[in-house]
Amino acid sequence: MDRRATLATLLGKSNKTNKSENQDFAPPASGLDPYTGSWGFENAAHLLRRATFGPTVEQVKQSVQDGLNATVAKLLEDLPMPSPPVNYYYTNDPYTEIGSSWVDKGYVQGDSNLGQIRTSRFRSLRAWTMEQILTEGVNCREKMTLFWHNHFVTANEGEPLYVWNYINTLRENSLGNIKELVKKVTIDAAMLRYLNGNQNRKNAPNENYARELLELFTIGKGPLVRFGDYTNYTEDDIKESAKVLTGWIARFSNMYNEYYTKITEFIPNYHDTSSKSLSYRFNYAQIDNADDEEYKILIDTIFKKRECARFICRKLYRWFVYYKITPDVEADVIEPMSQILHGNGYNVKPALEALFKSQHFHDILNVGPMIRNPFDFVFGPMKASYYSEGLPTDLYARYLQLYNLYTSKLKFNLMQMEYFNHPDVAGWKAYYQEPSFYRIWINSATLPPRRDVRKYLLYASTSRGVPIESERLDVLKLASRLDNPTDPNDLIDELTRLLMPQPISPGQKTYLKELLIPGLPDYEWSIEYGQYLGNPDDKDLKNSIEGKLRILLNGILEMPESYLS
Amino acid sequence: MKRRKFIQTSTAAAVGTPIMLNGLSLNVLPTKGFFKKMNPLNDKCLVIIQMLGGNDGLNMVIPIDQYDNLANARPNIILPENSLLDLNGLTGLHPAMTGLKGLYDNARLTVVHSAGYPSQNRSHFRSTDIWTSASAANEFVSSGWLGRYFDTKFPGYPNGYPNVENKNPVALTMSSLVSETCQGSASNFSLALTNPFSLSALNQGEDSEPPNTPYGDELRFLRQAIDQTNAYNDVITGAAKHGKNMVSYPNTSLGNQLKNVALLLAGGLHTKVFVCSIGGFDTHANQVDVNDTKVGNHANLLRTLSDAIAAFQEDLFQLGLEERVLGMTFSEFGRQIKSNFSDGTDHGTAAPMFLFGKCVSAGFVGENPEISANVQVQEGVPMQNDFRNIYGSIMRDWFEVEEEDVRELLFEDFEYYQVVDPCSSPGKFAGQAPIEAFDLNVFPNPVIDNAEAVFESFDEDARITLVDGRGAELRVLMEGRLYAGTHRVPVEASRLPRGNYYVRVQLEGRQQTKLFVKI
Repeated sequence: MDRRATLATLLGKSNKTNKSENQDFAPPASGLDPYTGSWGFENAAHLLRRATFGPTVEQVKQSVQDGLNATVAKLLEDLPMPSPPVNYYYTNDPYTEIGSSWVDKGYVQGDSNLGQIRTSRFRSLRAWTMEQILTEGVNCREKMTLFWHNHFVTANEGEPLYVWNYINTLRENSLGNIKELVKKVTIDAAMLRYLNGNQNRKNAPNENYARELLELFTIGKGPLVRFGDYTNYTEDDIKESAKVLTGWIARFSNMYNEYYTKITEFIPNYHDTSSKSLSYRFNYAQIDNADDEEYKILIDTIFKKRECARFICRKLYRWFVYYKITPDVEADVIEPMSQILHGNGYNVKPALEALFKSQHFHDILNVGPMIRNPFDFVFGPMKASYYSEGLPTDLYARYLQLYNLYTSKLKFNLMQMEYFNHPDVAGWKAYYQEPSFYRIWINSATLPPRRDVRKYLLYASTSRGVPIESERLDVLKLASRLDNPTDPNDLIDELTRLLMPQPISPGQKTYLKELLIPGLPDYEWSIEYGQYLGNPDDKDLKNSIEGKLRILLNGILEMPESYLS
Repeated sequence: MKRRKFIQTSTAAAVGTPIMLNGLSLNVLPTKGFFKKMNPLNDKCLVIIQMLGGNDGLNMVIPIDQYDNLANARPNIILPENSLLDLNGLTGLHPAMTGLKGLYDNARLTVVHSAGYPSQNRSHFRSTDIWTSASAANEFVSSGWLGRYFDTKFPGYPNGYPNVENKNPVALTMSSLVSETCQGSASNFSLALTNPFSLSALNQGEDSEPPNTPYGDELRFLRQAIDQTNAYNDVITGAAKHGKNMVSYPNTSLGNQLKNVALLLAGGLHTKVFVCSIGGFDTHANQVDVNDTKVGNHANLLRTLSDAIAAFQEDLFQLGLEERVLGMTFSEFGRQIKSNFSDGTDHGTAAPMFLFGKCVSAGFVGENPEISANVQVQEGVPMQNDFRNIYGSIMRDWFEVEEEDVRELLFEDFEYYQVVDPCSSPGKFAGQAPIEAFDLNVFPNPVIDNAEAVFESFDEDARITLVDGRGAELRVLMEGRLYAGTHRVPVEASRLPRGNYYVRVQLEGRQQTKLFVKI
């Protein structure tokens, strides 16, 4: 073998060389044209698995009945904003009674309980965030909120009011206008602190935010064509943009004795009033002083560029469809989608609508190759099992359980995906890191916690081994909503097509049936399940059926096929 | 351009002195066999510590001879001169790095000055890709530099691994995400490991042949990841159980990562590469405590780094494992020379790397960066040592990769530096620059229109470039073969904007930069 040639291919230079151990597959020939194929359970389940954190079997069936267009309309519908998080346990927050919301309550400077007030509010926010996901229904807002959280990364910066404002802005605008969202995020307090906009001043510009605004938030970095020139913008554009953005500060709310909305403030003295000149990459656009309106001019200037729409569409594509963007995908999907986005003044809905209704999205080759991120992996089975219906109704117990799920039980930190805690400003690597992308979620350190979470959801118990029913997946409810759970073959078929993207082999189904009824004929299950249906209060019957279903579901969820969407 | 190399090192005598015969330099590098003799089992490993965020090298390794200009450029964050841990009169370490000072005093530390690459990219992400893939700034390479090396050593991986001959994981990343340095053409050679005791078998149900589609491709990947996690389980947990640590480590994330590395090595694990990391170096603001610049965020980071390495080295010494381990630090870029108003520093250019261990060629590679009296905004430290030369030299000396292959794996213009010594001579340390320096001057300086770069060379190949303050190579002044003697290379500067510039002269195995000011 020609070693030199081998080594050269190992370099993996350019997109021509395939980095996967397998050959490149012919990409789906389909583009953004409307999908006109059949509309059955598998198709609807695919759409709902991607556009939400996972459907119930009833939601899938409803979508089949409604049809593709009505389902997409539902996914993109503007819902009323949820009621904000409340104080659920901390009795020493003098501004917020138990059961009322803290999101519009500032602090008094020097309050001795400030640390604990903040802690209680962060806990409340995390629990509430979990609740939003578990109760999202057939709507894309939560998935898009997380998308924007991963797009406009900030850390918590120690102040729950910042984090609330930030995430509320994202949620409120998640299906709205991207350009306006960027404007809001640019002067958002959490962002001002996270990327040092707070310290960006006339006499000493801090270019941190300006750099990420261009590189990560709007137009993206093209190839380096010469030093300091990244095709879509230049180093000088960063410097000039930083000047435009001078003057905005975020205050800690306890510096005030009153209302928190003064968190973000424009200080005219800090603002660079000189004229700023962008490079030839922006047709030498000049931005004259416009004080606190000036950043909007900059953002409008950036969004005029078509490349901005392409950049954002690529990120949406990797969020909803697949990580490989081949030249065909670029031409047949990204390009027309970006035209729609740009043509609609950066309203995101028409672009998402076209994507969700497209041939490409529903192409069989795009069904299944997405490795589920930890959220999809965990929330999918929880939502399929109506988890939110089993949560305690008592406020304290409900929030506490949600908080514990978020921080420890579901092991999101070990699986490397948490709200308000990104690895860095570029977001989760799975959505940008060549060549591995989604595969980054999976390795020898993250596999064991995936196993542990599955076991916890199926077998949550106290340290003395007593089952904690309220924390376990309700497998009986899940089975009861299927068409024909009495037949073991139908039971397995229905569960696997709900929880897995592609049919599994007959051998695997046999394996699963062996888990359910080892060495027994099918009718034994039918009889026993029928007996349980006839005597739902018989504890012994219920326990044995439930135990069997747990074993089956565990077997399904530990198959690598369940890691895919 | 074909280059012949010769060693430039004060410790070369231990290995073989460059011999000059009739003006011809003979290449008398230690042969492959030499290192094999030193370590017949070839059980060496490399421990990489990635400093995430872009480390301010000028606050870590301080050019004492440039102190006044440096203080002028960053008055709000400069360390007091008398607080520096003086290494050789010219260069000092941050006062928090007593641990690394100890390593230096025991000939276990090499400071690679101003490591970077031409036309530095100041994006965290792009620059990290460049450092992990060892690509050029304008080239996109999706595999890691060690991944490509492993591709040649472990063909077909991960199919058929582990096996009788390769029982050990090839590489371990001591955190929850595998390192891109180990990304091979087919898969990443690194397993991720957070707790060496907590692995246990994963089940995946009945097998069936995945279809030949993207879905099948990802499914195959998942099955392999599960198989491998299971397959390497026993060897990792076995090593963890058999191993022990001889010293206590600082209770920091990095301390625990290195503690686990030593534990696994002591327990008999034969993994080639361990990747550790420490985050927090993106110090745009509040890099120091303004009331006392010796303390603050950056000081804490450097202390964490230094204390963890020192404990690790002591542990290896007590375990008798010192000769198996070479350490290396890197960060995606250094920071700008001028500080900012937020008592921090913004993204810059080159920064020092550390190599540590008993087998390093202790001392310095290169010289202190030169700081001008009038540093411009956005100016970074110009690259003096291309990091790929350090990578390549490690590959050559430590992993015994043929130089020709190093060129293929890294870059055609690879320059060998001796960064590794035979680990034999405890008293070898001389404390001066092992890479031979040479004089380079630019006259006149400051320059109005034309200047000359003046230096001496042997009969050797040279490349002379003009570089601006941000590290961009503006043009090549001369490239080709030189006669032995003194050279005067014209530097046409009349059309350059005012500011700071550098002439960079690359000779065979040496390079030098010289600052000049255009007025």
